[in-house]
Amino acid sequence: MIAAAYAPPAARTSGTIEAVLTHGTIAVRNLDAQIAGLEPDATLCNVRIEERVLHIDLLALRGSILGIIADYERANELAHALVCDAVSDAAAFFARARTRALFHRFGDALDDLDVAERLAADAEIVNRERAAVFQGLGRYVEAFAMREEIAQRYPSFENLGALATLCAEAGDTERASRLHAESLRCYRGVSPLPLAILDFQIGVMWMHNGELDCARDHLRAARRYVPAYAPAQGHLAEVEAELGNVEIAMGLLNPLAITSDDPDYAAQLSRILVGAGCAEDSRHWRQLAAVRYDELVALHAEAFADHAAEFWLGVGADPKKALRLARMNFAIRKTPRAYALLFRAVAANDAVNAWCSWNPETSRSMTSPPNGRSMQ
Amino acid sequence: MSDHFSGPRALADPAADLIDLFAFPAPENPQRLVVVMDVFGKAGPSAVFSDAVIYRFRFRRASIAATGPNAAFAVDADELAFDFTFDVPSGTDVAYPRQPGHCRMPRGDTVSFDTNDEQGASGPGLRVFAGQRSEPFFLDVRMIEQTVATRQIAFRKVGADTLYGTNVLAIVLELEWAKLLDGGPMFAIVCETLRAGQRPVRIERLGRPEIKNVSMSFKMFDQVNRDLEIRDLYNSEDAFALMPDYLGAYRARLNANLSFWDSLDGKVDWLPDESGNHPLTNLLLADFLVVDVSRPFHETSYFEIEQAMLAGRPHATAGGRWLNEDVMDSIFTLYINGGNGPRISDGIDAPIAWSSKIFPYMAPPNPPKITVS
Repeated sequence: MIAAAYAPPAARTSGTIEAVLTHGTIAVRNLDAQIAGLEPDATLCNVRIEERVLHIDLLALRGSILGIIADYERANELAHALVCDAVSDAAAFFARARTRALFHRFGDALDDLDVAERLAADAEIVNRERAAVFQGLGRYVEAFAMREEIAQRYPSFENLGALATLCAEAGDTERASRLHAESLRCYRGVSPLPLAILDFQIGVMWMHNGELDCARDHLRAARRYVPAYAPAQGHLAEVEAELGNVEIAMGLLNPLAITSDDPDYAAQLSRILVGAGCAEDSRHWRQLAAVRYDELVALHAEAFADHAAEFWLGVGADPKKALRLARMNFAIRKTPRAYALLFRAVAANDAVNAWCSWNPETSRSMTSPPNGRSMQ
Repeated sequence: MSDHFSGPRALADPAADLIDLFAFPAPENPQRLVVVMDVFGKAGPSAVFSDAVIYRFRFRRASIAATGPNAAFAVDADELAFDFTFDVPSGTDVAYPRQPGHCRMPRGDTVSFDTNDEQGASGPGLRVFAGQRSEPFFLDVRMIEQTVATRQIAFRKVGADTLYGTNVLAIVLELEWAKLLDGGPMFAIVCETLRAGQRPVRIERLGRPEIKNVSMSFKMFDQVNRDLEIRDLYNSEDAFALMPDYLGAYRARLNANLSFWDSLDGKVDWLPDESGNHPLTNLLLADFLVVDVSRPFHETSYFEIEQAMLAGRPHATAGGRWLNEDVMDSIFTLYINGGNGPRISDGIDAPIAWSSKIFPYMAPPNPPKITVS
């Protein structure tokens, strides 16, 4: 799946603050309306750069909320066109860096940020963007240094929320929760989207830590803010399945598997159906997911290597393919999750020797897997 | 743009992003005053009002306190507010849905209506409409940016309307001013969006056109606060009571930018006073539309009252702002040559559709997917 690290951060749940927010269905309608209003002018050169950047960012936002890969692809395409039309404008390079990071093209994203910096962009804005890329890369030490400094100087909702997501991804659950609550107290907007995104990220953090009840609470909160929030629904299904609520999980996944162009939902559904003894149905969804993962890996290998590897390692039942993709993923980003995925792929292939010959130095460190902080 | 995308914070909540305010005596009935608030620029067909936002018109009685170089309005401390709120639409219509709305009048009466109903709804002394309409504003933003970048007037004979064929969400309030506004005949009017709740928080406010964008957004001429994105701060202020803490910052920004505009024709039409203040700064910081309903409706009346005050003569029109006025040309002429030269055109002379002189005044929404030619 596309990098969640680049989704705009946000927050709320303290219970001490009664924020009045736009209903989630209105927020999504209006997001659609904004994009529909900007789309006709999308490639016209006489449209303001600010507006073209907004269009790109809104597409990326809708992609992350509704789980629409086509939106990310459109954003990527528009960002590239924008840079071609505005080679001397830092905002264009920022926009393209963001979409490149969405597709895990982190090196290219950093190159764009270097160009933006040379174009005299504000150093703090460049660092904020770089921090997000470093986070995606698993370069947590650098990401923390930047995020901490920015949040300390400007403890706004956005900056505290960004730090919370970094802590969440790095596995510092206690601090992530604290920052989450703190960021909520700074929220002044009426859009529920940033709040839903932050709750989603905290929910995923708890899920990865095996705290399924906490994960469920946050994922449900994300869906209360925005009922159509597809990744929250998908992860909630995963949690429900883990908790033994298979029917609920299938009910959550079915509509997503049918409508989404992201194969994760079909893959998850297939896995749950196997467990429920519905082999034939499972095969149907597995085949759909397999075809789609292959398509996506062919188009955007860096972005989908990790989730495709997960699929082939599990219900896809092709550990060799999984290992190839897990290695590719690890080569791009050295996050604890990338490491764990590679570890499992290697184990599944019973290929410890192959692993050592591939990278003897890294194999030595496998005896003590990292716990949260950067592997660099 | 008039107030389109007028600050970074507004971008997160398009339905709370105020883009225009109009105020004029009803062309066919001067006993009625019409105010129009537009939000959500470039709205796609599915756009609706937020259920978490209060859309407010504020009216205060006003009078002319001084004329000449120190021209100023006196504005009453008391005011009357009309609040519009909206529910979550229940239907499944993707485009132009009916969304229940409510107008709460100053004395607590409420008029309920559905959006996108051309007939609107009526209450004692008022009529309301809300829904999607054709964008009445027109301008060539790229040429404004080029003018600023090159420091030379870049407008072409025929420009490209940045907003051509786009739509907005509009709220139209037509009211019997004598009955509902406690006197008159001169009123100062602003509109606001506020986050609803026990203590509503102002998100945006709007009075005059192009204060936050053309007059305030450019930072490079401001030697006092060169790096300050001033608009969110300005947006959060009470239009009728600016905080003294930031007044200097707003004044510095306006002085700098207005002097830039004045310089574009190679002559000085607006001599600063001994403190360096541009003669328009104070009047523009009185950032509300002023309408004198005792004077006749006029199609090009924006800033006419203020210009008459500066010149020390009686004003001839109702002032305010009519929907069809080419207000960019009015503003550029005012800022660049102070009326001491030919009218300055930005090359766009009309919107895609003219507003009409009958309720709900604004033209119906344009079909989606119209592209700029």
